[in-house]
Amino acid sequence: MEDAMSVRVVIADDDADIRQLVMISAAKAGLEVVAEVGDGDAAWEAIVQHVPDLAILDVTMPGVSGLDVCRRVRADSTLASVQVILVSAAAAESSIEAGLAAGATDYLSKPFSPRELAARLMTYQAATR
Amino acid sequence: MKKLYARLAAFISVDHPSPGLKQLPLAVAFAISIVLVLAVPGIQVTSVPLSSVGIALLVVATVLAAIFTMLPKLDKWAIIIPLIDFVAIGAFRAGTGGILSLFAALLILPVVWISAEKGRGYILIAAAGTCAVLMSPYIFGVAKFESGSDYVRAFFSPLVYLFAAAIINELARQSRSQLRSIREFADEKERMLQRTFEYASQLEESEAKYRDAERMFRGLWEAVTEQSVIGTDVTGLIDAWNPGATKLLGIDWSKTQGQRFVFDFHLKQELDDRAKELNYPPGATVLNPGFSALVEAARLGEAESREWTYVREDGTPVPVSLSVTKRVDDAGETVGYLFVAADVTQAREVSRLKDEFVGLISHELRTPLSSILGYLELMRDDDEHPLSDEQEQYLGVAERNAHRLLRLVGDLLFTAQVESGKFPLDLKDVELEQIVTAAVESARPAADAAGIAITEEVDDSSLVTHGDPVRLGQVCDNLISNAIKFTPKGGTVTVSLSRSETSALITVRDTGMGIAESELDQLFSRFFRATTATRNAVPGVGLGLTITKAIVTAHHGEMAVTSDEGVGTEFSVTIPLAVQPATV
Repeated sequence: MEDAMSVRVVIADDDADIRQLVMISAAKAGLEVVAEVGDGDAAWEAIVQHVPDLAILDVTMPGVSGLDVCRRVRADSTLASVQVILVSAAAAESSIEAGLAAGATDYLSKPFSPRELAARLMTYQAATR
Repeated sequence: MKKLYARLAAFISVDHPSPGLKQLPLAVAFAISIVLVLAVPGIQVTSVPLSSVGIALLVVATVLAAIFTMLPKLDKWAIIIPLIDFVAIGAFRAGTGGILSLFAALLILPVVWISAEKGRGYILIAAAGTCAVLMSPYIFGVAKFESGSDYVRAFFSPLVYLFAAAIINELARQSRSQLRSIREFADEKERMLQRTFEYASQLEESEAKYRDAERMFRGLWEAVTEQSVIGTDVTGLIDAWNPGATKLLGIDWSKTQGQRFVFDFHLKQELDDRAKELNYPPGATVLNPGFSALVEAARLGEAESREWTYVREDGTPVPVSLSVTKRVDDAGETVGYLFVAADVTQAREVSRLKDEFVGLISHELRTPLSSILGYLELMRDDDEHPLSDEQEQYLGVAERNAHRLLRLVGDLLFTAQVESGKFPLDLKDVELEQIVTAAVESARPAADAAGIAITEEVDDSSLVTHGDPVRLGQVCDNLISNAIKFTPKGGTVTVSLSRSETSALITVRDTGMGIAESELDQLFSRFFRATTATRNAVPGVGLGLTITKAIVTAHHGEMAVTSDEGVGTEFSVTIPLAVQPATV
């Protein structure tokens, strides 16, 4: 029952192409994509609804930013098990620090290599197993 | 009027009476004598020829006097007139009764003339003349020495006349001296008057100049409406307030001048913070730390311009760029300060918008590039549908160019950060040998591909600086990749690291095409590309060296370049070494 053991992931990015790229990487790593959304509000709803193992959130999205969604997740004790990976076009260390301070588990700078992302996601999958 | 007085004074002056004036009394007295001789029966002409000679000589003397009066140049010869007068009186006396003649008294007039002349010698001349006249009856043979009284007459009267002449001579001398003093005094007075006139006209002139300057200053003062100019004394009490200050701070000069202090218009917290920053030594007497902090640089005679926050009368804060300078008196003592401020609200807003724009552009460009690079990678990684070599090559080109575009976006963003002064540096102790070696090694494939030998020379492997390792790596990467780009096949690139006093010296030397000397000083300007770069179609946009220099400057280092066109170029970077703890 590999599926039951899969890491469940919510993917949020306002750019459909990037979202697709993340989904492909997640699929390659053997993760189960439970929801893919295009803005912060939808991301929050999907996380609350599905309580995934992992949320891959773009920092710059219309409405609520990925950073804010991450903070909300960390503030909610029922979502303590949800790990968050932030994805951003800003590669400055200050942005990374802000992301980690908001409670993100990992931080990914654009442009990223799908191969590398898949490799990183596999570590989550391995940890779950 | 003044001229008339001067002429009159010259005419009747005791010092210089004209010969005519001097002769006039004798001529009149002689005329009276002649009338008396003719009219009074008791007075006899004892010798008509002698009398006539006397009258004739007097006429001659009088005519000469008139001539000398008209010809002042002959003045010094005028003394012969009284001498002729003596002879005339002598002859006239001898012809009108000899020793009994009534007219011996006429003698006094030429005696006065001669003895009043300047010099003691004239006393003797007057006495001799007197003696001659009194002796004339004997000389002309109309009388003879008969009794003792005749001898007395010959000596006594001349003696008396000698005394009289001496007294007159002395009086004349004194009078001349007094006159000279009076003249000198008058001249002095005249000169002083002249000087007073000159001063008055100079005063008038400088007053006009002062008024012009004042008008000019007023005009300037009133014209400066976009900058606030505030003058204070040494305590900060306002004594000058321009229309710009009124506009910026919303309060008129009539309510500030002499009543308010300049620090009343500053954010107190900001002043206190600055005072703390300056860290006045314990025990230093600082009555008003905030104000002292405000004028600190100006007090030390330095020109400082920094951003402060003014507080308008209605409480609104206004960010300003403020320059403070001190005002000094003639002796160079500080008497106050001048505060010139410009509102930077708009400039700040523009800078914020620019940052925002650059951030947005960078994000908007990086996202599609992420897609391009990501999907390119997916295509190349697709094991199920392997690409042909040709396809592989095409995708490689696309990928390389996407990376190039990405670097450009990064450089643009970085340049914007440098310009806005928001330059993030992650400072830590950095071993420079590692940085240099890593840069050389990462450039080696490109150098090999271009047929260029790259060598590393490390003199001192212990050099440590306090800096941002990523940025310092970028400095080395930029310089090395430039050197490779500009060096033709078969050339060499040498990277060296050595110690230079308290700094580390990194040099990157190539045997490339070089840079024209005229272009060396523009090399670090944004978007500048050397002629050798464009001529040889070396790719680039002209940001690399701008960024490199900005990083070096941010590390308190310096950059230099020497180049010989067609021979090669050497870039050198000096970075201060980290202060090592003293070994015990």
